[in-house]
Formats: sequence, structure tokens, C-alpha cells
Amino acid sequence: MKGAPQLLRGLLFALACNGITALSAASPAPDFVHDVAPVLSRFGCNGSACHGKAEGQNGFKLSVFGNDPVADFEAMVLSGRGRRVMAASPDQSLLLRKAVASVPHAGGPRMREGSREYSILREWIASGAAYSGGGKAEILSLRMEPADALLGFEQHEPLKVIATLSDGSEQDVTWLSIFHSNNPALAEVDENGRVKTGAIVGQAAVMGRYAGAIAVHHLSIPRPGAQAAFEEAPHSGAIDRLVNANLRRLNLSPSEKVDDAGFLRRVYIDIAGRLPTPAEARAFLSDSRAQKRSLLVDALLESPEWADLWALKWSDLLRVDRRTLGFNNAHAYFQWIRSSMQSNLRWDEFARQLLQADGPLQENPAGNFFKVAKKPGEMAATASQALLGIRITCAECHQHPFDRWTQGDYHSMRAYFEQVKFKKAGDEEALVSEGDPKVLHPRTKEVLRAHPLGTPKPEADPEGDRRRALADWLVAPENPWFARNIANRIWAHFFGRGLVEPVDDVRATNPASNPELLEHLAGSLVRGGFHPKLLMREIANSDTYQRSSVPNSTNASDEQNFSRSSFRRLTSEVLLDAICDVTGVPEKFAGVPKGQRAVQLWDSEQQSYFLKLFGRPMRTTACECERSASASVSQALHFMNSPALQSKISNAGGHIARMVASGADDARVVEELYLGCFARMPSTTELADACGYLGARKARRQEAAEDLCWSLLNTLEFVFNH
Amino acid sequence: MSSTPLSFCDGMRRRDFLRVGSAGLLGMNLSLAGLLGSRAHGANPSVDPSFIYLFLQGGLSTIDTFDLKPEAPSSVRGIFNPIRTKVPGIHICEHLPLLAGQTDKFSLIRSFTHNDAGHGAADHHMLTGYHPNAAFNAGLSPNNQHPSFGSVIGQRLGARGAVPPYVCLPGMHPSASAAYLGPSAVPFVIETDPNSPAFEIPDMQPPLNVDAERIADRRALLARVDRFQQAAELQVNGAASERRVFAERAVSLMTSKEAKDAFDIHREAPKTRDAYGRTTLGQSCLMARRLVEAGVRCVTINHQNWDTHSNGFATLKDDLLPKLDLALSALLSDLAARGMLRSTVVVVTGEFGRTPKINKDAGRDHWSRCFTVAVAGGGIQGGRVIGKSDEQASDPAEAPFGPEDLAATVYHLMGVPPHEEMRTQEGRPVMLTNSGRVIRDLL
Repeated sequence: MKGAPQLLRGLLFALACNGITALSAASPAPDFVHDVAPVLSRFGCNGSACHGKAEGQNGFKLSVFGNDPVADFEAMVLSGRGRRVMAASPDQSLLLRKAVASVPHAGGPRMREGSREYSILREWIASGAAYSGGGKAEILSLRMEPADALLGFEQHEPLKVIATLSDGSEQDVTWLSIFHSNNPALAEVDENGRVKTGAIVGQAAVMGRYAGAIAVHHLSIPRPGAQAAFEEAPHSGAIDRLVNANLRRLNLSPSEKVDDAGFLRRVYIDIAGRLPTPAEARAFLSDSRAQKRSLLVDALLESPEWADLWALKWSDLLRVDRRTLGFNNAHAYFQWIRSSMQSNLRWDEFARQLLQADGPLQENPAGNFFKVAKKPGEMAATASQALLGIRITCAECHQHPFDRWTQGDYHSMRAYFEQVKFKKAGDEEALVSEGDPKVLHPRTKEVLRAHPLGTPKPEADPEGDRRRALADWLVAPENPWFARNIANRIWAHFFGRGLVEPVDDVRATNPASNPELLEHLAGSLVRGGFHPKLLMREIANSDTYQRSSVPNSTNASDEQNFSRSSFRRLTSEVLLDAICDVTGVPEKFAGVPKGQRAVQLWDSEQQSYFLKLFGRPMRTTACECERSASASVSQALHFMNSPALQSKISNAGGHIARMVASGADDARVVEELYLGCFARMPSTTELADACGYLGARKARRQEAAEDLCWSLLNTLEFVFNH
Repeated sequence: MSSTPLSFCDGMRRRDFLRVGSAGLLGMNLSLAGLLGSRAHGANPSVDPSFIYLFLQGGLSTIDTFDLKPEAPSSVRGIFNPIRTKVPGIHICEHLPLLAGQTDKFSLIRSFTHNDAGHGAADHHMLTGYHPNAAFNAGLSPNNQHPSFGSVIGQRLGARGAVPPYVCLPGMHPSASAAYLGPSAVPFVIETDPNSPAFEIPDMQPPLNVDAERIADRRALLARVDRFQQAAELQVNGAASERRVFAERAVSLMTSKEAKDAFDIHREAPKTRDAYGRTTLGQSCLMARRLVEAGVRCVTINHQNWDTHSNGFATLKDDLLPKLDLALSALLSDLAARGMLRSTVVVVTGEFGRTPKINKDAGRDHWSRCFTVAVAGGGIQGGRVIGKSDEQASDPAEAPFGPEDLAATVYHLMGVPPHEEMRTQEGRPVMLTNSGRVIRDLL
């Protein structure tokens, strides 16, 4: 953004020769880069819904967020038949007349005549509409004042944005900055940078943006009132200490420890992706060993169901998509993921094998990752999102509006994948990575060398297969992103929410709710040699994981600090399997061996009304968000009325029929159903109530038991992990 | 819009809504200000508006139906003749005789245009008012980058009675969903064909082998065993309260006589069913009327097979046009007879029109540069022709209008401010309509 390009210099010269410029010696006249472009951004002219959208607005197009100042300057000064900027009669310039809507403007008036912003535009026009003049200093960095704050409920706080310039001076640019809160429920920010907190405990980040630079203000909102007092268990590990320190800062105390039954159900769902059987539940509940919880964690981590569950998770993220890949490739791709999980492949090795995959696809099916992502840019974006938790797609076309990633960053990442090609020999298809393709910056045409996000620009591309260099960087213990991303995804798996949330949207403007904890988890992963299960074991054994879902007097509004266990709906596959287990009637999927569970399905296209209805992802992106946990009327109707569900409940070979036929007494039937659905014994009242229901229907005991099962399946307690 | 300031029109509480969007809190929260805002007053505040969108997927040949060119060369004009209609000066196709008798009820926009003659993207453009960007994947379902008309209307106006605010049938067009508006704006989808003899809504009624007494017993039992219904957890877990809200809605759908009746097309008099035509299209239109009458805000009918590339004239004459003529004329006269036309906007269109030039297979190919959209009701004046196409209907000759303008017009009539700024789930600001203009000449 230094000088104006040649063509513009000519224009400026022409304007100057016409004797229009009137540079004041005291304060330099406004120029486009420092003054006008920020005004256009601040007043929303270049927003993606207005002149910033791809096709512009009403014939006037600006680059979105002022991404391309040269083009914007040309649009403003050179096009529009010279009507937009008329130095001879500034007030007649379309720019000003539209801005104040003295001529019809679909965007309405954006500023008042005579206002500070209006004066800048007017003075700029009157002084000759320079691109970058007067040797003005460049913006080096931006900071927020204050950088962080502790605020009570419903308080106000003004923020300042300060720019540091290349001449060493500082400038308050608050009035030209754009503000954005990452969590408006906790803290809203108005267009003048004034923060207002709500009545929810937690942490928020407020971003200020000016001239393409970003500053972040961190805000903590503790619970008002008397200091919450709680004692930390003496055996607490690092996770609990870090979570508790954060809770103390926010004046929250954690919920009680969950009882054995609550833990049992939760840990089966989270590690094995299924409910415990009544027999397993009875065994655990009657086990009197002090360390029975950690023994169960270890046993479940070694179960084949663990591999099924994580194979499903990675098949979603890495897009095992039969429609794109075809049956054979998709199946082989899945098998590679499944066997990687089964053999406890380290996370770093898993990522490396994925990124470096080459050769025939049937021999090295990880190469399908590159087949499903199709284009080098999509490969770069998918790898970034899945492995680093960073979304760079925005930067394909313009600077990321909430982060530092530029088009240069995006296309430099793309350069790693430009060598990837697929070659066919007969029926065999092979991935080859070859050649020395050059990548140009789409706007500046500068040659971009492959290099990782956030690292200095190198002089040359890596030798040989560039993806090897990327893999080396990615899995290095000092890499700032990879271990954090895996740790955050694992955390989110166990808690229903990442420390960074969404888990695949890491940004300065979306900070972790507990950065020290995230550092610890990432460090733990690295120290454990990226072993796939060690960190999971540490988490599952923590007090934080073993909290009850019952809120206490302090933590009802806490959603992001893990002071209590939160409700998460069972995912579509786990939910369907749970129904099958409770009723003892497996689901039959077309073309799939009998007895295979929904969690084990590799093909997301497998026909199933249930799985579709309950939010199975389509695998068209690497976004965790594709898997939907949202509710709908149709889901509720299905649980209540579906003939398929009723036939499972009443199936002659199913659990209920067999129990009734075996002559089990009422209490036994009730207990078995409670254990099957909730992994707990019924309370005395529940037992009496349910036995009463069965006892009053002795003549149709089978039906009565079905009714009880139907009722338990329709509870929130069944549908949710809590 | 609501009785308490913290409640949405659909019965969800503010906090629930925040959590619904937890995957993209940023976006959801920011659109909240708008969503919590009072319901805007429509073009006519005294009516409570509804919307029926009859989407003729594949692309209705408007040069053969609503905008014939009898003076054009034979390679263009086709084999159908124009006929006079109830409104002097308006001529339409001879194979739409019933509609010809009702031109006083609807108007034709003959200068409709957009730039994409490919099915998926054009569909999205016509169903949302936005042409999709390069990342569009038509194969996804839903594939919405922007919310469909029905999602916007359903969410902004909220449920009326026990029926859902937005219904799609038969099945859901992949571009008819909610995009960033989230789960509360997703349509209720009738997957089955209302013309089939055994038509019913799946799961809407309990299984036949479970009698009413047992259903009542089960529900009473459920209320007792569902311990979280009364627990503190429900209050602090948005996902749980969201599910409860939907479960309640499902129960009211099942138990409300009005809702049950509305979905039960078999209750309609055989004569009326015949009048709409015993076809998927006819019975879908009848269903739309029943649903709107029961309180549904928007019904989107997705009728297929209008992509008449080959043997187009015969297909239109023998199959599609008689069905459309019967269904649409019955819908308009039925709505009018019941006093519902003044509050119900009806839009009939494909994703584009078809080429002026007839192809070698006696059909026409895709043509988005100029086609006709038929509109009626809800404040739209009938009997008008808006805009004009050139002599071969290849381009608008005057006053071109596009999907953006259709969106602005429909939202305006529904009382939804068309130029509101929304936020996507990523926090990207986006206008509800892409700078569309309300087509004032229709009002």
C-alpha cells in the first residue's frame, strides 16, 4: 500500500496541474489509504451486503472491507464517468450526495452533511483526491485500550483503538474503527466502541478493526455477589486446577460430583458410543472398589467401540463421501481411518500419513482426502480446518474480516497442494505429486511460495513433494496449532463444547475460554507423544468431567466454563443404536451385514430415515457443524408415533417380550428397563409408580411393559447425554 | 408478536434461541435484535397474510402459456394459440381455458429476468431471492446459502395456531430451507403425495396397533417418568428446552383437531377434490389452501417435470397444462370464495422460462433472460400485465424485474421489512433481500 501505481500517479499529476490541489502545510490533506478507505469501511459502504458484494451495488463496486484499495480508488476516481469525485465542485460529487442521500441512495443516508466523516471525504475531494500523499506514516499495529477488563452485569465500558504508526507516533482511531463482539449475549458493543455487558457470567472478546488491522479486547464478566467458596479436592490434577482457577476468577463454584450411575452412562456414550447394558450397569453399580471409575475408563478406551466412534468422527471430518469418491475408494478410505484408530496410530502420524499420501489409491487410500477435496485451494482449506482448526476460506477472495489471514496466506497454503494430480493406469488410480507449479497472488500477481500460515515468507518452494514440508511443520511439537486443535476437539467431544468454540474456528478474535487450560491440554498431548488415548484418559478421570448436571446457586448461567455438565443430544447413530440396544432389536440396513451398528456404518449415504432426521452429516465440508444436534417437530413425532419404533418395542423376539415371557416380576422388568435406558436403578417412587402401572394391567402385561419402555424412550433423560 | 418480551412468536424463549445457534453464536445473536423486533406491519395491517408459492420445477414455458408471440416466425411462436380472457387485452394459451376465466384474479409480470439458466442455481435464486455464490453445491439438501421465502416468512411471522408456520410439499425442494435462520425456520415437510389414496403425514398419528386408551396412558406415564421436565437442568440447558418445545408442538399437532383435520385431505368433499384435479399438483394446491386456512403462514409446493426439452408441446398440451389449469384456477376461485384471496399471496413460476427458438425435438431449452411470473392475492391487484417482453420474448422490452424484486415484493406484502440486515452464522452481514425493489405496479 505504499505509493500509488503508475497509472494513478499520472492522474494525480493531471489533477495537480489543473490547480485543484490545496494541500495545507499544517495538517496534511486526507488521502485515500489513511482516511477515505477507513471512512468507507466504518460507514458500511464496502460491506458484503452493499457495494462490497461481488457484483457491486447499482454499478458501483468496492472491494469487500477495503481489501483492494487500488481498485477502490480506481472505482471512485476513474470510473463512474468522473461523477463520483468532482474536485471542481466537491459538493456535487456523487460520493457525497449519495452518502447523505441528497440523491436517491438504496443504502439510505450514511452520514450527515458537515459531520467529521463528511468533512474528510469533502476535503479529500477538494484537495485533489490523492491515493497516498504527503508521506504519511504507515500503520504498524493496532491495540485496544484497555486490553482487558473485568466488568459486572449490565455495565458500560468505552473502548479505544490506538494505531501505532511507522514514524513512532500513535493515533486514536476509535471513531473510524469497526467493532464486533464474539458473544453479544455476554457483551454487546456499539458502533462507537462502547461495550455493554448482559447478565450472563463468562468471557467475551471484542474486536476492533481499522485499515485491515485488528485489535482484541478481552472481557471477563464474573458473577456478582458474595464470593463463591469451594474446596478443591486434594488429588486434583492440572485440568481441575486450571478449570477451578478460572471458576474462581468468575466467582462460580462447580456442581457436585456426579453419582456412579450418571458417570456410567456418560462415559459409555463418550468413549464407547453406546449405552451400558443392564448387566454392565448392575456390575458397575455394585462394584465397591474405590478406583472403579478409572478402571472403567481404561476398559472402554481399549474397546473396539472406541475405534468405531472415532472412525466415524474422522470419516465425517475427512469426508468419506461415497457420492464423490465412488464405492471402492470411499470404502478403502474408511478402512484406513478405522484401522488407524484400531491400531492406536498417534495423531501426528495419522496427520502425516494423510498429508503425504501418494501412490495407488487402493494401496494408500488416505490419498482419497485429495480426491474428495478436488482442487488445491479446497485441499488447503480442508486441511487447515480439519487439522489446524483454522478457517481460511474467506481469504481465498479477500482478507479474513475477523482474522489476520490474507489472500497471500491462503494462496501460499494452496501452493503446497498444486503438485497433486491423479493418474489412471487401467483400473488403478494413483496420486502423484510432481512438477514445480507457480502460484500467483490473484490480485498483485506476486509469486507466492508454499509456506505455512503465520510463518515468514521463504525465498523458494520446498524441494520435492511440498506436502512433506507441510507435514513436517504441522506435526512438529512446537507447532502452535495442531496439538491445540486436536486437544480442543477431544475436549469438545467430552464436554459438548470446545475451549475454542466452534472447534474449527480458531482466531485471535475468538479466543479460548480458558487459554491456560488449552495450553495444558496441548502440552499433555505432545508430552504423551500424541498417543490417541492418553489425553482422553486424563480428561475422563478429571473431576471436571465428572461433574453433575444439576446447577448450583452460582452456575446456572455458565455455559462456557465447565462448572457443570451440559446436556448434549445423542448423535443420530448413537441414538439409533441405543434404541436397538434397549429393545433388543437390531436395525437392518440395506446391503450391510446383519448386526452392524449405526456407528459402524461407513457410508453416510446409507438409506435411513432416522439417521437423516437426526442430523447425520452429508460430508460435503470439513466443518464439524455439518452434524446437526438440533431438534424438530418431525423428530418428536417420530419418537412418539413411528411404527418402526413401536415394532421394535413390541417385537416378539425383543427384550420386552422375552422378559415378560420369562416370568420376570414387575420390579425386575422395571429395573431392567431403567438400567437399559438410563443406566441407573429406578428410585423407590419410580419403582412403585411403574410397578403400579404394570400391576394394574396384569391382563395385558406385555403391552403395559411396552408402554413403560415407550415412555422412557421419550424422556429427555434418554435422548440426552447429561 | 408475543405476550412477553422474552418470548419468540414460535414459543421459544430468547435463551433457547441463543443456544440453538451455539455453533455460530456470533451470527445468531446479532440477528436477534431483528428477530426480537416487533412484527412489522404489512402493506395492509388489517389482514393477517399468508403465502403460497407454486414452484414449477424444470421451468414453465411461459412463451407457450402466459406470453404467447403469435406474430413471431414459426421457429419461435409454437403451435398454441392465444385466447381472449376475462380481462380485455390479456391473452393466454388456449390450453388454459379455466385460468382465462380468472385473469381478473391474477396478474402477469412479463418482463421477469435473471442471469442463470442452470437448474440448481436458478432454483435457489427464485426460491430465496439470491443467486448463490461459487461455493454452491446444488447436490446438497438443503443447499440454501440464503433462507427461502418460506423460512423468512415462517420465522418472522411465527406460528398461527397448532400448525407449523412453514410447510413444504410434496417433499422439500433442496433450496427451500432456512440457511442461517436456523432450526426454528426449517419447514415442516410433507414427504408423501397428497394425491395418493393412502395419503397421511408420517408419524403424525400413533401406530394403528396402539389404541387411544394406551396412548393416553403412555402420555400420562411419560409426564411422570420424565424427571428432567421438572428439574433445574431443563432451565439451564437450551438443547433440552428446545427439544421440549418441539415435543410440545408435535403433541399439539397430533392432538389439535384443527391441525389434524388440516392435514387430513380425505376430509375434503370429493367434489372439491375433483375440482382441483385428482393429480399431485391439484391435491397439493388443495392441501395448501387447507393449511393456510388452518393457520400455516407459507406453503411451498414443489411440482416437477416442467423441463420440457423434448416433445414439449405434446407434454404441455396433454399433461402439464390441463393439470395446471385445473389446479390453479380451482385454487384461485376457492381462495376467493372463502374470502382468503385478499390475505393470501400466490406466486406461480418456474426457475426460468424457455428458449424463444424451438429446438429440433419439438421442445424448448432453458431461458432465464425473459419469462413470465404469475402473481395473485394478498394485496396484489388482479387483471394486470406488468412489464413487457420483446417481440420474441427473448428479453424484457421494458421494466425488467428479477428474483430480488419478487423477494422484496413478497416480504413487503407479508409485513417483513425487505431491507433488513441479517447475520449469517459466521457473522457475515447480509441483507434479507439483495437490494430488490417492491414492484409497486402490482399493488
